Amino acid sequence: MANIAAQRIKREFKEVIKSEEVAKCAIRVELLNDTFTELKGEIAGPPDTPYEGGTFVLEIKVPETYPFNPPKVRFVTKIWHPNISSVTGAICLDILKDQWAAAMTLRTVLLSLQALLSAAEPDDPQDAVVAKQYKENNEMFQITARHWTNVYAGGPNINKDCDDKIRRLADMGIEEHQARVALSSYDWELERATEQLFS
Amino acid sequence: MGFELNRFQGDVDEELICPICSGVLEDPLQAPTCEHAFCKSCITEWISRQPTCPVDRQNVTSAQLRQVPRILRNLLSRLCIHCDNAPYGCTRVLKLDSLQNHLEECEFNPKRPLPCEQGCGLIIPKDELKDHNCVKELRSLIHTQQQKIDDFHKDLAEQRFVINEQKREMQLLKEFIRAIRISNPSMRAIADAMERDEVLRWSNTLQRARVNRWGGMISTPDEVLQRMIRRTLTEIGCPPHILDDLMENCHERRWPPGLCSLETRQNNRRQYENYVCKRVPGKQAVVVLACDNTHMGEDMMVEPGLVMIFAHGIE
Repeated sequence: MANIAAQRIKREFKEVIKSEEVAKCAIRVELLNDTFTELKGEIAGPPDTPYEGGTFVLEIKVPETYPFNPPKVRFVTKIWHPNISSVTGAICLDILKDQWAAAMTLRTVLLSLQALLSAAEPDDPQDAVVAKQYKENNEMFQITARHWTNVYAGGPNINKDCDDKIRRLADMGIEEHQARVALSSYDWELERATEQLFS
Repeated sequence: MGFELNRFQGDVDEELICPICSGVLEDPLQAPTCEHAFCKSCITEWISRQPTCPVDRQNVTSAQLRQVPRILRNLLSRLCIHCDNAPYGCTRVLKLDSLQNHLEECEFNPKRPLPCEQGCGLIIPKDELKDHNCVKELRSLIHTQQQKIDDFHKDLAEQRFVINEQKREMQLLKEFIRAIRISNPSMRAIADAMERDEVLRWSNTLQRARVNRWGGMISTPDEVLQRMIRRTLTEIGCPPHILDDLMENCHERRWPPGLCSLETRQNNRRQYENYVCKRVPGKQAVVVLACDNTHMGEDMMVEPGLVMIFAHGIE
């Protein structure tokens, strides 16, 4: 790995550890190897959002050309958000693409992602299904996002109605996550979800 | 790329850190309006990808980058840094502005060039000295030299070939010109002028000769002598169109009226000193060209000139 990239990551790693956000348990970084090319990030779901109380794990890959090119970041924890793929965890955020600037750091990236959870950009979606729900049935979006946070990110808000519907599909032999995706995509209407799953 | 932070004694102010490499600023430059400072190499690399300030994304081109204020440079130059060769045992701690001077003479530099003391005299980086083998190094040196020599030989052969080709072409061209000249009178005038120029140019390449003993003149040289002189004239570049005539004029039967018999020669002896003679290198002979001797009377000169062969007395 290029010297400059390693030097930067070492320093940024310390910066995150010392930052006040860590003190508030809002962000965290962990090294996955000695060469500073792969890191694990964590951000807390921001308060007053459906993600509140959840912890979201990120995969961070540092390219050879860092910091002249942005790090490659992806959600490992499954999440229901217009700008994050519910399938792959890929993120649509300008600073991770053409709006990257060399002075940005792991800390600013994590904080930007946290901000993205607070303020989605449904007009620039990564997940069209989620974005459509966000715009057309925001109440249902809130429920779904909160439910996903509960199931995948350890959020506190259990939604009994959602769990029941998933169990009913599971009883029919559908895998749980598949059932959740189908129900989430059809505003938790059991009939339409079933129809889609068995068509 | 800037200096690593852990090489410095004490804390370094955050303002002296390059936001790109996160090291201490090296050769810093700043953006024009926002005044954010970066290492020269870092910001140049960044701008080559995207012409913006890496901190606030204002548009910046490399031509707009400026030197940082003196106060910033002073603060940087006062920082105390461990020598680059600290891992190799150098314990010096220097002001940043004297680091470069120290590095040039730091004896702990593993790459410092040292002469081999075992006899081969090659200059080698210090860290390679212990594995250095004179014979091996010299052998590889000879090998590369030999390769170079071979290359030169090849080159030489090629050049010779090219020169020969060109000579042949020139010869063809001359033949061609001659043919044209014969068929076209105005071309003849041009060609005559060119030939006269050629003789003049040749004459200028020859050295002046001094004849000590005009009495040593051989007025009836034999065939062998004539062939020898002819070969030498060819070698020193005598224009071929006058060569035959010149050689014809080495015998008294072709000499001008003033020289053609022993009697006239004796009468005109005093005029000999006025001849402009040119040396025929290595031979007891001179060339007396008409173009050099326009001051001589008509009865003392013929076109295109004379060759005078002597028994001795040429300098």
